[in-house]
Amino acid sequence: MGIKGLNALINEHSPKAFRNGEMKTFFGRKVAIDASMCLYQFLIAVRQQDGQQLANEEGETTSHLMGFFYRTIRMVGYGIKPCYVFDGKPPVLKGGELEKRLKRREEAEKQRLDMKETGTLADIAKFERRTVRVTREQNDQAKKLLELMGIPYVDAPCEAEAQCAELAKGGKVYAAASEDMDTLCYETPYLLRHMTTAEARKLPVTEIDYAKVMEGLEMELPQFIDLCILLGCDYCETIKGVGPVTAFKLIKEHGSIEKVVEAIENNPKSKQKIPENWPYNEARELFLHPEVIPASECELEWKEPDEEALVDYMVRQHGFSEQRIRDGASKLRKSLKTGTQGRLDKFFVVKKRPAEEKKGKNTKEEKPKKKRK
Amino acid sequence: MLEGKFEEASLLKKIVEAMKDCVSSCNFNCTENGISVQAVDNSRVLLISLLIEKDTFEEYRCDRNITLGVGLGSLSKIIGNGANSDYLTISADDDADKLNIIFEDKVKDKISEYNLKLLDIDADLLDVGPMDTDATITLPSADFAKICKDMKVLSESLQIIVTKDSALFQSVGDIGTGNIVIRPKTDIDHPEESVTISLDKPIDLSFGSKYLSDIIKATSLSQKVTIKLTDQSPGVFEYKLPSGYLRFYLAPKFDESN
Repeated sequence: MGIKGLNALINEHSPKAFRNGEMKTFFGRKVAIDASMCLYQFLIAVRQQDGQQLANEEGETTSHLMGFFYRTIRMVGYGIKPCYVFDGKPPVLKGGELEKRLKRREEAEKQRLDMKETGTLADIAKFERRTVRVTREQNDQAKKLLELMGIPYVDAPCEAEAQCAELAKGGKVYAAASEDMDTLCYETPYLLRHMTTAEARKLPVTEIDYAKVMEGLEMELPQFIDLCILLGCDYCETIKGVGPVTAFKLIKEHGSIEKVVEAIENNPKSKQKIPENWPYNEARELFLHPEVIPASECELEWKEPDEEALVDYMVRQHGFSEQRIRDGASKLRKSLKTGTQGRLDKFFVVKKRPAEEKKGKNTKEEKPKKKRK
Repeated sequence: MLEGKFEEASLLKKIVEAMKDCVSSCNFNCTENGISVQAVDNSRVLLISLLIEKDTFEEYRCDRNITLGVGLGSLSKIIGNGANSDYLTISADDDADKLNIIFEDKVKDKISEYNLKLLDIDADLLDVGPMDTDATITLPSADFAKICKDMKVLSESLQIIVTKDSALFQSVGDIGTGNIVIRPKTDIDHPEESVTISLDKPIDLSFGSKYLSDIIKATSLSQKVTIKLTDQSPGVFEYKLPSGYLRFYLAPKFDESN
C-alpha cells in the first residue's frame, strides 16, 4: 500500500504542495473516495471500547456500515459531495503483493492465537486488527447503504485509486481522496488525505497539489512514476540498497529506470542488485494507462436518501438506533437543499505572487511562521 | 524606510478589527502612494482589499516599496494597548524583520513603543479586475449591519433582491421567514442617512450570513456602505476611509441542481 518514503521526499522538495485545512474549507467540492480503502479503515478502526468490532444481533460485523454512514454524513454536513469508488479485479502484477499480504495476515492470525494464551488484551487486539479482511458481502453491504443514502458510487474495473484520479482528471470531481500516495501517479490534480479519518482524531485534511509536486521535484510524470517504482509500489520489487534518497538521485541523474539499470550494470563496483525479471515496464504501464472507465462515462448523481428503506436496512437488519438513522437521513436531505457557497477563484484569476519581490528570500524564510490552529 | 503617522490610533485599530476575523495574517504592501492589502480567507470565499492612501496619514514616507507580512491577531493585541486618541506611528526599515509601532499620548508626555515580528507570507493573489455592476446600493452602514444581524437569526443565507425602486433582504429558515425592504431616500439635513439605489438589471443573489457577519465588523469605519451587485458574481461591499477604502468581495451562494 502506498509508496515508501514518497511523502517525506515531496515534503523536502516541494513543501508548498501540501496544504492543511479543516474539512469545512472543502465545502461545495465533489470528491472521489477510494471506498475499498475506507472499508479496511473502518473495519480496523471502528471498534467498541473493548476492541471488538461492532456487530448486529446475528453477530455480523457492522463496523463498516457505521463508518460509511457517519463519516459520509459528516462530509455531507460540511457541504462536501462525496462519491465512492470500489476496487475491481486486482491487476495481475499485484498478485505478488497480495500474496505477501495474505501471508502477513496468516502470520498475524497465528500470532494472535499464540497471544490468546499469553498476551495482554491490547496485544490480542493488535493482532486481531492485522487479520482483518474485507469480504465480498461487506463490499455489497456498503454499496447498498450508499445507494439508500443517495450517494453515488462507481465500480472501478481495476484499481479504485486510478478510477478516483480519472474522475478528478476528467473534471467530474475536484479531487481524489485516498491515503495511498500512489494516487498521485495517476495524475490526479489534487489528492486529499485524512478525509475519512475519525473526527475525534482531529487530523486536518491534507491537500496535495499534483502540479506543485512536479514543480518542486522538477520532474515530469514518467520520471515521477519511475521514481515511485524505485521507492517501492504494490506492483514490483525494488532494487536492493536503493532507498528514497538514492532513488531520487538516480532518477534525477539518469532520467528513467532503463538508464538507471544500465548505469548500475555497467558499474562493476556497484553494490546495488537489479532484481531478476523485473517487471518495472509493466508496472509503469499500469500507472500510465490504468484500466479505468472514462470520466465522461460516469454519471454522478446525489439523490435524496430513501429514509424508510434506510431505516429498514440499518435498524431492522443491522441493529442501529432508529433515531440516529433518521437524524442522519434528515441531515442528508438538508444539505442537498441548501445552496452551495461559491468561491472567488471561480471569478478571479489566481495570480502567483511575483517572485522578484522576494529579495533576500533565504533570510526571510527564517522568520517565524505563524501556525494556524 | 517606511514611516506613517496616524492622527488617531483608532483608525488603524478599526481597520485591523474589521479584517482579523476573516484572515489571520496578510501582507501590507507599502509604496510611496500609501499602503495596500489583498487577503483572502482560507476557503477563498471572502476577499479583503484595503487601500490606505498617503493622505490618510498625518505624515507618510516610503522610499522603497516594501512588503510587511503581519499576523493580524498579534497586531490587534499591540494596537489595543494604545488609547484611541493617541498618535500612532508605524515604521519599518527596508529589509526589516519587525514593524515598529509607537503611540504618543497627546496630553501626557508619554511614548509607548512596540515592535512586532514580521512573517513570511506566501499567499496567492487573485486578480480582481474591473467588474461590471448591475446594481449599486448605498445605505447607512449601521442599517446594513442591523439587517445582516437580524436576518442571521433565521437562516444561514441572506437573499438580496434589487428591483427598480427597492432592495429586499430576505431570509428563509426552519423557524420561519423574514423580509426587510429599503427604498431610496434623500435626507438633506443628514446626508449620511440617505439611501440610493441605482440599477441596470434586477438582481437576485444569496450570500452566506456568516461571511456577512465578518464584513459588518467594518461598520465603525464609515457611516455609509456601498454594495455593488452583479448577477452570478461576487458582491462588493465598500467602506470608504478618509482617503482610501476597505472593500470586501464575497462569492455568492448557488443553487446547484445536483
